[in-house]
Amino acid sequence: MPDGRPNLNGVWEYIGTANWDIQDHSPAPGPMWQLGAIGAIPAGQGVVEGNEIPYKPAALEQKKKNKANWPAEDPEAKCYMPGIPRATYMPFPFQIIQSNKDILMAYEYASANRLINMGKPIEAGSDTWMGTSNGHWEGDTLVVDVTGLNGLSWFDRAGNFASDKLHVVERYNRRSNDVMDYVATIDDPSVFTKPWKISLPLYKRAEKNAQILEFKCVEFAEELLYGKYKKQPTK
Amino acid sequence: MRQRVLTSLMVLAAVLASVLLVTLPVIGQAPATKAKKSAYKPPKLPWGDPDLQGLWPGTDLIEVPLQRDAKAGERVEVTEEEFAQRQAKAERTAENDRVAYVAKDSKVGINPPGYWLEHGRPQKITSLVVDPPNGRIPELTDLAKQKAAQAKQAKQGHGPNETWEDQSLYDRCITRGVMGSILPVIYNNGTQIVQGPGYVAIRYEMIHETKIIPLDGRPHPSSNVKSYMGDARGHWEGNTLVIETTNFLGDKNGIGLNGGGTPHSADMVLTEKWTRTSPDMMEYTATINDPKTWVRPWTVRMPLRLNPEFPLYEYACHEGNYAMFNMLKGARADEKAAEEAAKAGKK
Amino acid sequence: MRNTLSFSVALVGFLLAVSPVRAHHAFAAEYDGKKQVHLEGVVTQMEWINPHTWIHIDVTEPDGKVTSWMVEGGSPNILLRRGFNKGSLEKGQKIAVDGFQAKDGSNRANGSNITYPDGKKLFLGSSGTGAPADPGPGK
Repeated sequence: MPDGRPNLNGVWEYIGTANWDIQDHSPAPGPMWQLGAIGAIPAGQGVVEGNEIPYKPAALEQKKKNKANWPAEDPEAKCYMPGIPRATYMPFPFQIIQSNKDILMAYEYASANRLINMGKPIEAGSDTWMGTSNGHWEGDTLVVDVTGLNGLSWFDRAGNFASDKLHVVERYNRRSNDVMDYVATIDDPSVFTKPWKISLPLYKRAEKNAQILEFKCVEFAEELLYGKYKKQPTK
Repeated sequence: MRQRVLTSLMVLAAVLASVLLVTLPVIGQAPATKAKKSAYKPPKLPWGDPDLQGLWPGTDLIEVPLQRDAKAGERVEVTEEEFAQRQAKAERTAENDRVAYVAKDSKVGINPPGYWLEHGRPQKITSLVVDPPNGRIPELTDLAKQKAAQAKQAKQGHGPNETWEDQSLYDRCITRGVMGSILPVIYNNGTQIVQGPGYVAIRYEMIHETKIIPLDGRPHPSSNVKSYMGDARGHWEGNTLVIETTNFLGDKNGIGLNGGGTPHSADMVLTEKWTRTSPDMMEYTATINDPKTWVRPWTVRMPLRLNPEFPLYEYACHEGNYAMFNMLKGARADEKAAEEAAKAGKK
Repeated sequence: MRNTLSFSVALVGFLLAVSPVRAHHAFAAEYDGKKQVHLEGVVTQMEWINPHTWIHIDVTEPDGKVTSWMVEGGSPNILLRRGFNKGSLEKGQKIAVDGFQAKDGSNRANGSNITYPDGKKLFLGSSGTGAPADPGPGK
């Protein structure tokens, strides 16, 4: 960029299975046999450094409950905004618009977006789905401090979660024209016994005229959410 | 040689732009009735594009009607008397908002408290629609009138809130569409421009939209790809950002407040222009060209004021949409009550 | 006093007529115009969410029974811009609410008037950051 900072502009996407399960996992049948192999869960390499998530015992029970209630309880199924860090590794692209001031990240999934404030840090006035992001540069690495998350999004489809005490510190480093390294430190003392890290590469979408499209998924989730309250056909 | 021609063309474009600005009617702020010559050149970003960045909420324009009162004819500005009335009304609203205690005999309503809204600043403009010259939305085509009649027909015998589809796209928290995201309403009229090399991005607060506009002249996708917010392509004409948006989903939302009004068709072409006329004013125009729906194109114009005190906050609508559950449950409760009353009546 | 009242009624009428508030998810679809309620309770939680905030209160009946209600307010973004934040309405604060009860009979009401026990309106003006119209917090 003209100010000497790395240029993170572009359409980026993660390739991998982190959204299924941030830890490594074997393949498994999906929830709907009618989809056959299309609906099955692929195997995956994990993106958690050390592959262990240091849950407190009660929190681990909650994670298991979440997993057992998947997909109905997964906020992704409801078309709820994925929060940070999940938005980064959804199977949908996102675009970074880096100005001479702040940095905008627009995610294709559910039209989620957030503005990373690069000026004087601001405090979160309320808890939100995409959090309050304050960023600064450390050399060539963009460091983003995310607070004010509401604790209602999950980390993946395996039920991994945190609370509204979650504090995420993200590091974005463009290691080449086409690859950006992403490391997110996850800190939530009410859920985990210590901080831990998610680490994964992001790839630049290389098509000519790559763009994010629109995925407004509310309509796909309405039957799931409201179906039992609609007028039933008279018997 | 090419560089000189290019420079001359740019100078010509700038001169033309300032001439055009002189002949436009004044956009109601100061008492002057004649158009001020605006030779304002916005600063340039490091990559050469004009800098339009900032927070440009439409809040000031709350209370300017979309369509002009028929009595005003082709008058773009209100009379001095009408303006005085607007000012007086704004003062009364502000005074009312300051009443700290609820009066003992005050009526209980079904809306949140009035002071929990945002308010405009009195404006001189008679309406947001400026073309056709009478400031009113043109007539619907026969096709559009037919569709409206059919939609009304389909609702016969259909109860309220049978399903979520009986609510608007806004109340379902899906979208307000492009125009619905910028026409001023009772609150959350936040609009923000963020620019990057080769792109302009426009954020709309309600319902957390981001319109990304590539400036590289790439083509639109084919008509196989349609969306609520359409597909935008931009270019500069002098210091004016011109955005052409196509590939809309048709027969969904309208062009009115919050995306209400007659649904536009998939063939609509929306042309928006953003021109910074001073350090803290932006002229925004939008021309709606949808020959399937309106008999002629029409244009909306809004003067937007830079307001650094109006940051956008997250408007996660769908995630907090208790109201949808409550409306459906309410309708089911009403139906049950009616059923039971009917049974009791039969006994 | 009377002028203020008639103006308030007129203003409400005006707002109902021209603003999208009434159309915006039609409160009338959720609430029963025949079931006006007056609640006095203690805040247990405030959800700073859109499209409407929800204030949860515990109401103690004369017989000592405690019922939980949720009260629908306006959009939080307006308050955030006026300097209020999630700490502005604390757990344990006593408030009073006038509104109408949900059609399905559940303990939900719209917050037409939301005040401190002395009748002072909640979230009036700004948060006390020196804005001109700021009457200061109530108790």
